[in-house]
Amino acid sequence: MIEKIKASRSEKIIFIFVIILGLFSITSFVLLKDKCLFVKNYDPNKINFKNPNNIAILNVECGNVIIELYPDISPNGVERFKTLVKSNSYDDVAFHRVIKDKLVQAGDLEFGKKGNIDYGKIGTGKSGLGTIKSEVDKDFNYTKGSVGLARSLKYDTEDSQFFIILQDEPLYEGEYTPIGKVIFGLEALEKIKHLNKSEYVLRPDFINTLRLIN
Amino acid sequence: MKLFKFILVCLFLFSNAYANTIYELIKIPNLEIYNIKTKNKLRYLYAKQPFTIGIDNNINCFNSTKQDLKQKYEIIEKNLNRYPESFLKKVNLKYIVLCEDLSISGIGTAGIPDNLMKTLIVDIKFNEKYFERVLHHEVFHIINDGYKEIFDENIWSSFNPAEFNYAECSTCTKKIGLDTYLKPNGFITEYSRSTASEDMAEVFSHLMYGNLPDTVDPILKKKIEFIKEGLLKIDENFVL
Repeated sequence: MIEKIKASRSEKIIFIFVIILGLFSITSFVLLKDKCLFVKNYDPNKINFKNPNNIAILNVECGNVIIELYPDISPNGVERFKTLVKSNSYDDVAFHRVIKDKLVQAGDLEFGKKGNIDYGKIGTGKSGLGTIKSEVDKDFNYTKGSVGLARSLKYDTEDSQFFIILQDEPLYEGEYTPIGKVIFGLEALEKIKHLNKSEYVLRPDFINTLRLIN
Repeated sequence: MKLFKFILVCLFLFSNAYANTIYELIKIPNLEIYNIKTKNKLRYLYAKQPFTIGIDNNINCFNSTKQDLKQKYEIIEKNLNRYPESFLKKVNLKYIVLCEDLSISGIGTAGIPDNLMKTLIVDIKFNEKYFERVLHHEVFHIINDGYKEIFDENIWSSFNPAEFNYAECSTCTKKIGLDTYLKPNGFITEYSRSTASEDMAEVFSHLMYGNLPDTVDPILKKKIEFIKEGLLKIDENFVL
C-alpha cells in the first residue's frame, strides 16, 4: 500500500526554486547563444546618404556595417576596393585576423574563401590585380571605425586585404592607406569571432556580402 | 592584501594602451608613446620596461626614469628637428626609441638604426660629451642604408691613401675614439678609421653638429663634398 505523503512547506519552496532556476538557465543559454541579440541591424534603404556613390554595405552575421569611402584621401585605394566590391570578390571571405576590441581584418581572396581556406597561408593571398602604391601622405585621424588597406612590412604592397579598427589608433596615420570609415553598425564587427591566444582565427567568421549602394 | 597589491601593480604595468600597436609596427616590445605630435612627424617612443630583440635576442635596452627621459628628449628633439618631414620620409626614419644601456651582443652602443622598420633606437645614457653629435651619426646610418648607391663605399675608399684599409667591421677594431682630431689627415676621428660607413657617418655628424676642425686636409675636404653632394641627390632642399 502506497501512503500519500504531503509535501512540507519548505519542500514546496525548494521545488519552486529549482523550477525557476531551471527556467532561468534555459533562457540564459538561449539568449547568450545568440551573440547578435543586442546588435542593431541598420537598413541602408532607410538612411539618407550625402554621397551614396561612396557607400559600401558590409553584411556580416550580426547585420549591416555601413562604410563611407574616402576617394579624396586615397583615390587609388578606394578605386581598388570598389573594383573588388563590384566583382563580389569579398563575398564569403574570412575575417582571418581579429584582435578583440582592436581590429578586424579580412580580404584574403586567395586563401580566405569559405570552403577553400588555407590556414597555413591565410593573410598572404593576392587578388590577382597586383599591388598598389600606399597613400599615406594626407592627414587622416585613425579613429574608431576607420577602414584601411593592409600591407606587408613594406609600403606599396597594398592589394585586397583591409582592416577596420575598433579603437582609436593614432599611430596608424602615415602607416596605412585609409579608405573610409564605418558610419553605422560597428557593433556588428565587435561580435566577429576572435581567439584569446592568437590574432589569427581558426574557423573564422565570414563576410556574407560586400556591396556598393549605387 | 599582498595579492591585492600584486594585482594592482600588474594592472598598472600591463594596461599599456598602444604597446601592442607599437609592436605590430616596429617589432619592439614594451614601448609606449612619448610624443607623436612633433614638427617633423617623428614619433618618439620610450621603453616602459627593458626589451630584448634581434637575432638570438642579442639587442638589449632598459627603461629610464621620467626625469632622464625628459632631459634627454629635449636634446634629442632639438637635434632631430633639423631634419624636415620630407627628408625623413625619403630616408625612411619615423620612430625614435628612447631607452638606456643599449647593447648589441654585449657591446654598448649609442644607437641602433633600422631602415626597414624606420626606427632608430637611442641610448639616452650614452656619453654626454658626444651625445648630440652621435645622434646625427646614427641618422646617417639610416640614410646610408637606404641610399647605398649614392654613398658608394668604393668611391669613398678611393679618397683614402692607397695603403690604407678599413677594418672588417666597426666592432672588429680598437679604433673607437670619438674625439675630433684637431689636425685631421683624411679622417676626422679615430672611429672614422674603422669602416667606410662609420667614416661617412662621422663626417656627416660633424657637418650636422657644426664642429668640423678648423683645418681640413684635402682628403677630408673631398669626403665632405661627397657627403654634401649625396645629401642633395636625396633631397635638393636639404640644408646642412
